Amino acid sequence: MSAVRFDFMHFMPYTHLPENHKGYHSLWVDFPNKYYDPKKGVELYKRYLAELILAEKVGFDAVVVNEHHNTAYSMMAAPNLIAAAIIPQIKTAKICVWGTPPNLEYPNRLAEEYAMLDVMSEGRLEVAFPLGTGMEYWANPISPANARARYRESIDIILQAWTQDGPTTYYGDFYTYRYLNPWPRPYQKPHPPCYIVGTGSPETVELAAKLGFGYSAVFVTKQRAQELNQQLRRSSAEHGHQVRPEQVPLQVITYVAETKEKAEEEAIPHIRFFFEDALRTTPTFLAPPGYLSVTELKKRAALADKLHGAFNFDNVNESFFVAVGTADQVVAQLEEWAGRVGTNHFNLLAAIGDMPHWKVVKNLSLIGQDVIPRIRANAAAERRVAAE
Amino acid sequence: MAAIAFPDQFKRETHTINGLKTTVLSAGKGEPLVFFHGAGIWHGINFAVPWTQKFRVIIPLHPGLGEADDDPAMTEMHDYVMHYLDLFDALGLDKFHLVGFSLGGLMAANFAVEHGHRVLRLVLVGPAGLRGKERPKGDFFLLPPEKIPSLLVSNFDVIKQFLPEDPKDLEFMGDRYREGGTLARLLWEHPYDIKLPRYLHRLTMPTLLVWGEDDKLLSVQNADLWRQYIPKAQLQTFKGAGHLVLDEKREAVDAVQHFLS
Repeated sequence: MSAVRFDFMHFMPYTHLPENHKGYHSLWVDFPNKYYDPKKGVELYKRYLAELILAEKVGFDAVVVNEHHNTAYSMMAAPNLIAAAIIPQIKTAKICVWGTPPNLEYPNRLAEEYAMLDVMSEGRLEVAFPLGTGMEYWANPISPANARARYRESIDIILQAWTQDGPTTYYGDFYTYRYLNPWPRPYQKPHPPCYIVGTGSPETVELAAKLGFGYSAVFVTKQRAQELNQQLRRSSAEHGHQVRPEQVPLQVITYVAETKEKAEEEAIPHIRFFFEDALRTTPTFLAPPGYLSVTELKKRAALADKLHGAFNFDNVNESFFVAVGTADQVVAQLEEWAGRVGTNHFNLLAAIGDMPHWKVVKNLSLIGQDVIPRIRANAAAERRVAAE
Repeated sequence: MAAIAFPDQFKRETHTINGLKTTVLSAGKGEPLVFFHGAGIWHGINFAVPWTQKFRVIIPLHPGLGEADDDPAMTEMHDYVMHYLDLFDALGLDKFHLVGFSLGGLMAANFAVEHGHRVLRLVLVGPAGLRGKERPKGDFFLLPPEKIPSLLVSNFDVIKQFLPEDPKDLEFMGDRYREGGTLARLLWEHPYDIKLPRYLHRLTMPTLLVWGEDDKLLSVQNADLWRQYIPKAQLQTFKGAGHLVLDEKREAVDAVQHFLS
């Protein structure tokens, strides 16, 4: 394994849900925002920013933020604001905004904001271009039916803005730019590292392959992640790109404690909250009309009962990348999966659901103390062996 | 796309228009009566059978709905108007009566404001598309798909036979989802036709509005909105009928026939 990289990804959920929240079919889109108490929000933002900053101190290489709308799942409707808030407090770690759906924002403005963050952080920004979940289209004034076409055009515009000296022009189906000439320009050349993140639509994997971007699958089963990984490698080769290990981050729900029993006891209630509550929404919100192909819709509808049934940790553990246990167990588990996927890039979900601050601090500290150094050392030893 | 059973007397023809395969159903003899169906055609066209006694009834299936091909480039109502200019040329249709239901009513109104000289008489049945003061009436996308069938009718038995036994039937779900995508292309960003009121005065042909008094999808109050812009239009409403007033009330079918005769 080449030099390994550890990211800490935060979702920043709003966790003070009303007692009757189970009575709501979704914590997304139409979950009433009267339940958002800004005073509690103050405390949560302070706490979550502190956790991101702590991650660098204990040894993580990057912090990851992302964007969602109309939901208690995330308090990051505008992740660039979070990135801007942590840049002065994070000294060397990368700042990953994974990211704003480019079709939900004016592309020139997104090119500008990312360039600002890249300059402000002296070239530590990484970005991802998600299409956005189905839920985002119920919250934003953009049609899900031509989302992919608009998404594609938006990425074109952003890349043009970053790679060609301005002013340039762009006459597209959705946007007209007479003077595409954003100031500032990115610090990194030609632009910050880019990823596509997705929930496994073949179209998005194909796009990553075409553009030579990294690809990260979120909330897909282990088996599906493996298929997507193979598809990415195959398609990238067809487009003349070799997938580098760091381009396929492995997203793992991770919790470390003194014993396996203790780890499970401490983590499972929050993993349960994450799957049962934070992710709770309706099939209609997940798939607004035109957002998925009919084939994909049928595939997902057939699976829906399996994924959104009653929570069962063994099933979740079996289906998804979940590493909960002692440092030894987590090290072995992460190394095994990394080997299988062909990555050296771990994106750890280490602040899970409604986990209290002390558990996040404990988890990050133990990962920083007992997991990261050992995986780094093992990888370095492997490199020495390979070199000899 | 699961095949929909249409009444036997209707002849089914396929026409390729601008590269797009569409189906045209027709039956009967007499003056041509073109019917623009609504956003769903799965509940069939049984109601149209009586019209075939007096008229040559022509029911084209709209692109992206029913068994007609999809065309992702058709993103606005005017694309449908243009499609029908081509199709009517192919069918050799010059002047005809035009009856439009729901989304088809909006389509018919759009066609008639532009090509009124070709429309002998116009009937709009529960037409969609005008923005009223009360909100949010008639935004199809706010309705949970599983509730749509029951919101369409006053008497559920009328459409029960067209629905799958299993409410989670994947084939049916997939077909409706695909049609939802067509509607989203047309209506997601602008569910109301904000320009149409400006041109509705061009509907100078005899015009009838038909509405079910128990319409839960587009309330009968919407009729006043249309009459505000087409003051000469007649209005007939039917008790005990929902949005699918033609499927539910034979009297409504007869009223259309009477108006056109």
